[in-house]
Amino acid sequence: MNIEQVKERAGPREFGPSDEMPEPYRKAATRMIQFHANSEIMGALIERPFIRQAPSLERKLAVSAQVQDEIGHGQLLYRAAEQLGVKTREEMLDELADGRGKFLNCFHYPLDHWYELPMIMFFVDGAAMRRQASLKRTSWEPYAHAIDKICFEEGFHIKHGEDILREIATGSRRDKELLQDAFEKWWPRILQFFGPTDDDSTHGGFAQEVGLKTMSNDDLRNAFLNAYLPKAEKYGLEIPEYPRIEYDESRDHYEIENSDLDWAEFETVSKNEYPPGREQIDSRGRRQEAVDWVREAIMDDSTTAVTGTTGAAAD
Amino acid sequence: MRFEVFRQEKRKEYHQHVGDVHAPDMELAKQYAQVIHARRKPANSLWVVPKDEIGTVDADEQSVEMGGTTQKQYRWATNFATGEMPEEIEESEREQQSVERDAAGESDD
Ligand SMILES: [Fe+2]
Ligand SMILES: [Fe+2]
Repeated sequence: MNIEQVKERAGPREFGPSDEMPEPYRKAATRMIQFHANSEIMGALIERPFIRQAPSLERKLAVSAQVQDEIGHGQLLYRAAEQLGVKTREEMLDELADGRGKFLNCFHYPLDHWYELPMIMFFVDGAAMRRQASLKRTSWEPYAHAIDKICFEEGFHIKHGEDILREIATGSRRDKELLQDAFEKWWPRILQFFGPTDDDSTHGGFAQEVGLKTMSNDDLRNAFLNAYLPKAEKYGLEIPEYPRIEYDESRDHYEIENSDLDWAEFETVSKNEYPPGREQIDSRGRRQEAVDWVREAIMDDSTTAVTGTTGAAAD
Repeated sequence: MRFEVFRQEKRKEYHQHVGDVHAPDMELAKQYAQVIHARRKPANSLWVVPKDEIGTVDADEQSVEMGGTTQKQYRWATNFATGEMPEEIEESEREQQSVERDAAGESDD
């Protein structure tokens, strides 16, 4: 197939490993799925400390189940990317560990406090879910299959995140203040989740033409704001005055004042050069290195050494 | 030799297990599968797999905890009452509900 034929045929779940896809398609799909997979892993990494810090047993169990889910999502996605024949899973994991792999802006920021957790678990996961739901119709079938399973699990994450938000929002005055502080800190990053508004992001156009993406970043952000602004208000969160957001009724569209957001920082983050994010990446690198021996043991002796010890981990 | 047969009804759908066939080799297995499992019911594609090549994990095996064998309320969307949700969350929850219902139905009988 050449690119023109791909564009012509592009549609939901249209292409799979038995199709001979041209290189630009395979590269664009790899870039997109690898980014998604990396984000699952890095998201799990910043949520993991809250298994320990959870205020109750119920929360502890739910956070740990969620972190397990996210690692599983990463695994599914690396598999879907691997089938494009551009990079192996090992290459992608190495790229993540050594700082070449890119991932979502929000996971470059440290999560310092329980009050910040719903910002990730509810708003960021909610934004991610909005995007993921639109990817059930992506043209790379293995990606769509991974998305089916991810979306099945993700409903729990967002509802659990909202439940934590509700609990804090109905707590003491101090709880509410700390929650509002966390919200103000995270709100601009959440708005940046979908990239700059005027940006037909360099790869977005092509990815949409070949059916990898089914909605533009701008439409996704808009759908997200439509659904999640009322939620923020429901829990008494005050939307900060800046960045300015204006609702255009005639177009049913939210306009964000782009110049109110720190795009220089976003650039630094996207290049993996933001120091706290860099620390997260290095931490990922050290963990990868720390379990090298496990991977080696599996490769050396896949029949005896490790079987039987991994069963209960991923249920 | 025994072969398991997976049928995909329409393009883009998942292949689902529909039964097995006995045949001396793959060529005949594919023909039998076609006749037995795809002659009447609509089919777009069949996967025919030697039974011996299939690895099995059972829920009652030791050190394996599979979905539905454990009570883990905390990891279901239905565990949290948060009012009306965005459409994609409602859909995820409906999928979880139907799995829960199936599991409950099984343990009833
Ligand atoms: Fe996820
Ligand atoms: Fe999630």
